[in-house]
Amino acid sequence: MAQVNTNEFRAGVKVEIDGEPYTMVNVEFVKPGKAQPFTRVKLKHLKTGRVVDRTFKSGERLDVADVQELRMRLLYTEADGSVVFMDDNSFEQITVSQNVIGDNKQWMLEEVVYEITIYKGEPIEVIPPTFMEMKIAETAPGLRGDSSSGRVLKPAVTESGAKVQVPIFIDEGEKIKIDTRTSEYVSRI
Amino acid sequence: MTLAPPNTSLVSKIDILHERASCLREIRQFFLARDVLEVDCPALGPASSIDRHIDVMRVEIGENKWAYLHTSPEYKMKQLLAAGIGDCYQLGPVYRLEESGRLHNPEFTMLEWYRVGLPFLTFIEETLNLIRLLLVLGPLPTSFITYRAAILHYAGIDYVHATTHDLIACAHRLGHHSSDAEDWDKETLLQFLFSAAVEPHLGQNDLLVLHDYPASQAALACTKQSGDETVAERFEIYYRGIELANGYHELTDAAEQRKRLYAESQARIAMGKPPLIIDENFLRALEDGLPPCCGVAVGFDRLLMLRLNKTSLSAVLPFPWPDP
Repeated sequence: MAQVNTNEFRAGVKVEIDGEPYTMVNVEFVKPGKAQPFTRVKLKHLKTGRVVDRTFKSGERLDVADVQELRMRLLYTEADGSVVFMDDNSFEQITVSQNVIGDNKQWMLEEVVYEITIYKGEPIEVIPPTFMEMKIAETAPGLRGDSSSGRVLKPAVTESGAKVQVPIFIDEGEKIKIDTRTSEYVSRI
Repeated sequence: MTLAPPNTSLVSKIDILHERASCLREIRQFFLARDVLEVDCPALGPASSIDRHIDVMRVEIGENKWAYLHTSPEYKMKQLLAAGIGDCYQLGPVYRLEESGRLHNPEFTMLEWYRVGLPFLTFIEETLNLIRLLLVLGPLPTSFITYRAAILHYAGIDYVHATTHDLIACAHRLGHHSSDAEDWDKETLLQFLFSAAVEPHLGQNDLLVLHDYPASQAALACTKQSGDETVAERFEIYYRGIELANGYHELTDAAEQRKRLYAESQARIAMGKPPLIIDENFLRALEDGLPPCCGVAVGFDRLLMLRLNKTSLSAVLPFPWPDP
């Protein structure tokens, strides 16, 4: 199995510890005085999202997790909430359970390409594009005249079901751009 | 004629470079006023310092000819001291292999100085004065704590009487987990506990002197008996959890120094590291007679970083290494 040495530790490197897959979130080199150098790592469990801190002696090695990242297009959602994706090159399809989709359910839209993390052959995470464009399905009409102030926001629900705050001049049926990391409105399309 | 746009990251550093220059000037004035001579020992030499935890950069100087970049000017400055140069300082770059991070850069600027015949405590005070001057600290208090008391205070354990099992349990209780602690020796566990649970607290409300290191971390310092423990006459100065200075009442016993260098060399080999050449010129200088003296090394870039309220060395280096 491939391994990484502490000096190759970086944010985003995926490793396996005690049979569990983690991704490195933050890596810090620590060395008091003439003492033993350590590498302190914040690790996020790839399935549960739980974050743990671990300290390694410089020079220690970890197994690289058997993780693949695939870009796949969303085809449709099944009645049970699971979602079917397809690889545009191989036409291979996979079904990702509702469980794995989790909170990202709000960003699921047909025809959009997502990043899917596969661990030991099983999908474990679906990551939406950082910026997505989608229609507003539901929002109260804005009051005339208020748009001049610019920064006044109102609640809205998108076609994928995400709840976002939008400027009051945005109407139902309009398309907007959203930052999926923060659920924040970016611009009108 | 059109000019290429200037490198914006460098443009933003010009003010910092002015600060750097004025700090360098202040240091030189500090030593000029105290009659301490500036020396500039070469960075490149045929032998290297030997520390189990400090790795050395090897440089090709000809076909199959190798030299080493110094990790501190200590061995050469001690040769000058043995030759009778008297009080001296060096301000310049040093190099360390695979040390890179928020507070580490493979090349950094070190200020190192030696005072002949000055009492250890007076020497610590001089170091504090220099740091206070450069950090513009004003009335911030200074405090002193021994290494043992600091571990007891912040981690709640007396390491002298603790077993490896006690140290692991203590780290876990404080929420610090290591990779395979069961296989680590007591020294490694102690340093892990120190770096995780103690170091971040040091100097948060004061300028802190940590002293009386365990004899196992004596490096090039004299040792003395303190109650039930042998301690090293070594000190470090911390501010906001960051180590700024490492100083010793210098070991002058050539036989003891040779023994320690051999032990460090053996430890390196046991760790699977490449063997290094023992600097016989340095040992000969101690045999000729190093006058009783104290010495300290200060990380100049860290001082500048704290003076300017920055959080990483890369903010004060015009050409930092890329992030690890």
